[in-house]
Amino acid sequence: MTELFIRLMRKPQGFVGLVLLALIAAACLFGPALAPYAPEKIDFLGRFRAPGWQNWLGADQFGRDILSRLMVGARSTVPLAFIATFVGSAAGAIIGVGSAYLGGRTDEAIMRTIDAVMAIPGLLMALLLVSTLGNGAGNAVIAIAVAFAPGMARVTRSAALNIRNQDYVKAAIARGEAAPWIIFREMLPNVMAPIVIESTIRVSFAVMLFATLSFLGVGAQPPASEWGLMVADARQYMHQAPWGLIAPSAAIALTAIAFNLVGDGLRDALNPKDER
Amino acid sequence: MTSVLSIQNYTLDYISSVGPVRVLHDISLQIEPGEVLGLVGESGSGKSSLAWALMRHLPGNAREVAGSLRLGDIDLQRLSPRELTRIRGRRLGMVFQDPSTSLNPTLTIGRQITEALIQHRGLKPRDADALAIDLLGHVDLNNPAAIMRRYPHEISGGEKQRVIIATAFGCRPDVILFDEPTTALDVITGARILELFARLRRETGVAALYISHDLALVTRVADRVAILERGRLVEQAPAADIFRAPRHANTRALVDAVPRPERRLVHDKPRDQVLLAASEIEVRYGSGGLFRDAPPPATKKIGLEVRGGEILGLVGESGSGKSSMARALTGLARFSGKITFDEHEIHGMRDMDAAYRRDVQIIFQHPDSSLNPRHRIDEILSRPLKLYGGHLADIPRLLDQVRLPQSYANRWPHQLSGGEKQRIAIARAFAARPKLVICDEITAPLDVSVQAQIIELLLALRAATGTAFLFITHDLNLIRQIAHRIAVMRRGEMVDLLPVEDFDADHVHPYTRELMAASPIPVG
Repeated sequence: MTELFIRLMRKPQGFVGLVLLALIAAACLFGPALAPYAPEKIDFLGRFRAPGWQNWLGADQFGRDILSRLMVGARSTVPLAFIATFVGSAAGAIIGVGSAYLGGRTDEAIMRTIDAVMAIPGLLMALLLVSTLGNGAGNAVIAIAVAFAPGMARVTRSAALNIRNQDYVKAAIARGEAAPWIIFREMLPNVMAPIVIESTIRVSFAVMLFATLSFLGVGAQPPASEWGLMVADARQYMHQAPWGLIAPSAAIALTAIAFNLVGDGLRDALNPKDER
Repeated sequence: MTSVLSIQNYTLDYISSVGPVRVLHDISLQIEPGEVLGLVGESGSGKSSLAWALMRHLPGNAREVAGSLRLGDIDLQRLSPRELTRIRGRRLGMVFQDPSTSLNPTLTIGRQITEALIQHRGLKPRDADALAIDLLGHVDLNNPAAIMRRYPHEISGGEKQRVIIATAFGCRPDVILFDEPTTALDVITGARILELFARLRRETGVAALYISHDLALVTRVADRVAILERGRLVEQAPAADIFRAPRHANTRALVDAVPRPERRLVHDKPRDQVLLAASEIEVRYGSGGLFRDAPPPATKKIGLEVRGGEILGLVGESGSGKSSMARALTGLARFSGKITFDEHEIHGMRDMDAAYRRDVQIIFQHPDSSLNPRHRIDEILSRPLKLYGGHLADIPRLLDQVRLPQSYANRWPHQLSGGEKQRIAIARAFAARPKLVICDEITAPLDVSVQAQIIELLLALRAATGTAFLFITHDLNLIRQIAHRIAVMRRGEMVDLLPVEDFDADHVHPYTRELMAASPIPVG
């Protein structure tokens, strides 16, 4: 594990990604304590205040400090995106490996079902689920997890099909091991690398998807300082106060980039052939 | 007379994360015009690095420390990239190990061979075509004009290797480097390639450097043999002498490890009672669809019997169905037919109960892929103990049994060498205390010396446990050393099933005789 970390730090993209992630994690953990103002503190004299010494990133239509809102909002954006990805990836990985192990008609049935689910665009799928389950951050997490699982299942299956043909899996079958052992202990550990890489990249999608849902008004609800919601709120005042739009958008983009970079770095670091 | 190829005090390092690693120490070799020098070494001895150094295609982390490489009067190390392209192929040809990857799959055979001729001999396309057809005919390919229009996947491996040899010879180089040209081919196909090589050599008088791990084979094709051991040249001698009078201890060990059919390693007789009887075993992969017929079965209703404590050899080239047989017997492939094991009848995968799975164990060909890279050795060995009853405290004993130190229990598979991994696979099979162990080409990817150790280990385990073996291999010399009876398979059919003593007799199947003729028996 530490060896992996060192190798990750050696890659430029891994290093930059990890530093950005550390900053984001700090914001999630200590955001409310570090924020200069309370996120919902209204200041009518400071409406649309441009970025300056009072409000470093400016203020919104109620005079709320954007930096403070971003720092507090990190907590309701990034961890939820992370959880949604984790749940979706885990479910997808298990379906994928299981499908590859079972093979034949079962595999065909599972994969065609997944194809059908994947035919629905992720955002539409999430919207559909949230509108059935009801608005709210918790349901948005479920919706994103469900939207992610099929893609993950497909990626995992293709990796697991190679593993399925390895002699150690055949050896396990020949000695009469039970299916759960083969799936979880023989196959899953060997497909972890692509799963981890794919998940880190997907976290960034989840952040954006989550922000989109909030932007559309079905994710987090006002006055929460969720980033997507902040973008949605600031949209009407785009010409008066562009900073209200730019700051949360940049935060979303930065988070997405951070996870993407770590994903890239992991792909190189997890490659055992890359031992230099 | 000057040498066509001369290597003087050549030393090569690879830069790795732990510093420079020396792969070649002070190598000096000369090849005279018309001479074939055999270069023999085990894996990791640096023989391929030497070939790549001569071709000037070393990896980026290679550092040439000392020495010179000369082709006639040309100093290979000083050539510019432009000059190099004029030397490669034109004056220094190369034939690689795996013909399936050395031809471009998107170009026709004709394109690939005429391109070389146009480039290196400056021919016009029309003349190149004519010459190419001539060359292909000369390497005994039927209907060369048709072959010219085909793509590599439309011809067999042996034919591909012939095309590559035709191309190499067609450019009339001074020296040709052969890097294990027959290793990826079947025994019989390989033997024909060697015959072709011998004939072309007589006709053209080209000099060659023939690299191989197979000492017996090299002594048949080369005039002189050089033995490479961990980057050092330990011996150079005329081919005929190296088997008769190896001077260096390493050479002697290498010579001793070469299997010879007349040196039997097993002297006991099997028990009379039949342990496993398989009859009419047919294995099919894939089924027919709406628009296509089912592919032919991999084995066509084959029957065989293994007696208690017997070693039954199963020999055949790739695609003969011998591995499918192993898969059927271990429940890895669907089959039709009947297996009787210990008076217990089995008609399909579902009938194989825990007792059968315990009694019949399989060891696979590739030790790299038969051990899960994410499990430590103790976990790998603990599985059969947990499944079939046994104590985890037995793991050190299992390691002892296969002569590995007990500290290996905490290691990962990638920390072990190929031979050590195969020992772990053997230990895993024997942890179940089986009555029959199926060995599917288990020594094929290993060096001869390691192969000899593994065989010795298997025989020792057999002496201790009385286990029977079904030993699948393509190496007839090896199996004649150890088996009681040998079955010969071809294209899914069993053509012969003979006691080993009868192999010199007259009534063997013509195919078996061909197979024996193709297995290089050491000279001297």
